[in-house]
Order: sequence, then structure tokens, then C-alpha cells
Amino acid sequence: MKRRWGLLIIALNLAGLIGLVFYYPHLMISPGALIEGHRDLATDCFACHSPWRGATSERCESCHAVADIGLRTTLGVPLPKRGLKISFHQELIEENCVACHSDHLGPKITASDRRPFSHALLRPAIRDRCASCHASPTDRLHRQITGNCQQCHSNERWKPATFEHGKFFVLDADHDTTCVTCHTGNNYESYTCYGCHEHTPARVLAEHREEGVRNIDDCVECHRSAEGETEGRGGRDED
Amino acid sequence: MKARLMTREVLPFFASLGALAIGALLIDGVLHLLKLVWIGRYIGILGTLLILMSFRYSLRKRKLIQSGNPAKLLRLHERIAWLGSLLVLVHAGIHFNAILGWLAILAMLVNVASGLTGKYLLERSRRRIAEVRAGLERQGIPPEEFDEKTYWDSLTFDAVKQWRIVHFPISLAFAVLALAHILSVFLFWGWK
Repeated sequence: MKRRWGLLIIALNLAGLIGLVFYYPHLMISPGALIEGHRDLATDCFACHSPWRGATSERCESCHAVADIGLRTTLGVPLPKRGLKISFHQELIEENCVACHSDHLGPKITASDRRPFSHALLRPAIRDRCASCHASPTDRLHRQITGNCQQCHSNERWKPATFEHGKFFVLDADHDTTCVTCHTGNNYESYTCYGCHEHTPARVLAEHREEGVRNIDDCVECHRSAEGETEGRGGRDED
Repeated sequence: MKARLMTREVLPFFASLGALAIGALLIDGVLHLLKLVWIGRYIGILGTLLILMSFRYSLRKRKLIQSGNPAKLLRLHERIAWLGSLLVLVHAGIHFNAILGWLAILAMLVNVASGLTGKYLLERSRRRIAEVRAGLERQGIPPEEFDEKTYWDSLTFDAVKQWRIVHFPISLAFAVLALAHILSVFLFWGWK
């Protein structure tokens, strides 16, 4: 009898708890508080979630038209121009809002687990046109470069840049010059040492002939710095 | 001969419960370290299935099924229910957001604790008190002094006996809360 009463009390408590789910879904089952802009929807889960299908992009787009993102508010009011171009949303290869956005703010400990924006989601035509979204750096080095950013930087992150000049050739005091002195035409896939009066093909060839070196086009193969003597692979002819 | 319920039975009980917490923390830490936190979401399904499998003993005990050796099923029940709870605890991942999930985890932990009470304390302490009494008898101590000699053991035994009473009702609470959690996940999460 006592046991039956105990079970009845537990059953009533459980029924009460389940009832609370319907009245306070934002406390009982929500995975975290909603972002500021969606706070009014806290108790209306089905505003964004389709039953059994989750939060679908169609639901998001019913308020946030892709063509208007970054340009107009959901009420159609034009937005002021900002540094970061949110309008890249119009250039995505697929409309999958939840791939990047989680409107439920989870605990800080899991924040790093969220999937960030990926450049791979952009249409290939715009993926390599960095300047369509990003302003070019204005420092001395970057001002000289007109080529593609991806020569040195990856799409994953800006820093660290993948290119370390010192690995190929140390830019010491004698070689503190503009990039185009060696990389003529802003082409960073090739270089020449003969842009400087110190180095002429005739002088270099004369100096190297007695060493048996005839290939004098790829200097850094042997010289990785102004001081260096054959630190590299070497350019001696095998024949 | 003195019974040492506290050191021989109570401590292993807490060690088993502590291993559950430490094991969950370790697995959770490794998942974070390897950036495999997403596995935690699915590990809950495996944990739930293990716990469901462990109910075979409960069905056998209540004669709802006839197959299986009860003693073997009990050992299996203890092991896979503990392992399933460990996985569910990893799934919860220390960072709770919703009250329903909190309550389901709480019910599960009380359930594990009450199960371990049965495993470590009741059976063995019952046996140990009998051994102590037999020892006292062999020493020629009159039976009327037994109660006095085993006073603290009896007191501990009576206290822990109350725990097992909660095992079935709290299992019911855990089942309902876990089911509500699972239903809410199916209802709101996009399974793709």
C-alpha cells in the first residue's frame, strides 16, 4: 500500500514535470538561450523548428531573404555599410543556414566546437576574389603585392602566413629591397637575382665556371643567404 | 573479530560511483582534446541501448520472461547498466543546458547509486554480519551480547537498506525523463 502511494506520488511528479515542458520549453528542453535578435521566440520553438525535421533553412528564409542579408533588415530597412561584407551570403554554394549559425547560445565550453564560416561554402568564382569581401592590408609589404592573397595565405586563416622567405633566401641588410626587384611583374612563383647591378649573368657565370656550375638561373638552390655558400642542394652539373 | 562494513563495503561502493564520475571526465577530456566532441552526441544512443539491454534481468526477476540464468543476468545487469550510465554521462558532457536533461541525469545517478547499494552493501553486509555473529558464537560470547557487539554494523545495514527501496521507482522516473528527452530531440533536431 505504502509502495503504491509512493509510485503514485512519483507518477504525479513526473506528469507535472512533463507538463512544465509545454509551458517553459526554453527552460526545460532548449539547448541554450536564444541570441538577442530571436529572444522573443524563446517559447515558440516551432517558429524555427519543423517537427521531426529540425531548424530548416526554409524557415530561416521565411524571415531572412537571402537576397536581403547584409543589405536590408527583415523589415526591408536598408542597412548601413559595414566593414565586413555580410552580403557574401548571396554567393554561397548552398543555402544551409544551420551549417554555420546556431541560434541557441550554448555554454562557453562548447563554443569552440561550433563550425565556423568556411570559404569552401562560397561559389568558386568569388572564392579567390578576396578583395570582394576583405580590405587589403596597407602595410609596406602588402602594398607592393598585387597578386592573389593565396600565394601566402590560406583560406582557413590569415595567420600564420604559409610563406617564410628566410627558408628560401634570407632578406638581410644587403637585400632589403622591394619585392618586385627579384619577383618581377609581381610574380611570386619565380624570381631573378639579375635585377641588381651586383649580379649579372656574365659575372656570375665567370665566377662559377671553374667550379663546374653551369646552371646559374636558380641561385637559391645553393645560396640561401648573401653569406651562404652552397647551403642548398647545389647546382653542379653531373656530366 | 570486528566487522568493518565501512572499509570493506562502503568504500568500494563509493569507489565504483567515483569511477563512474572519473571515467566520464576522462573520456570527455579525451574527446575535447581530440576535437571529437561530436561523438558525445551519439554515444548517448549507445549508452541508452546498453541500459535497455540491462533490463533483461529486471524482466527475468519479475518472471516476465523465463529464459536466462538470474545470477548471470544480474552480473550482466550490473556491468552493462554501469557502462551504459558512463556513456550517458559522457553524452551529457558536464555542460547541461535544459532542466529536463539535468533531471534525467540526476535520476540516472540516483538509480546507479541505489543499484550499487544493492550490489555492494546489502548482500555482503548481510553475509558479513552473519559471519561476525558466527565468530562471536565460536568465542563463547552469549547471544544476548551479539546485538551490542554488532551495534554499528547493524545500524549501517539498516540505513543502507532504505536505499534499495528507491531503485525501482527511480528507474521509472529515469525512463520517463529520458524518454521525454529523446522525444524532444527527435521532435526538434534535424536528423540528416
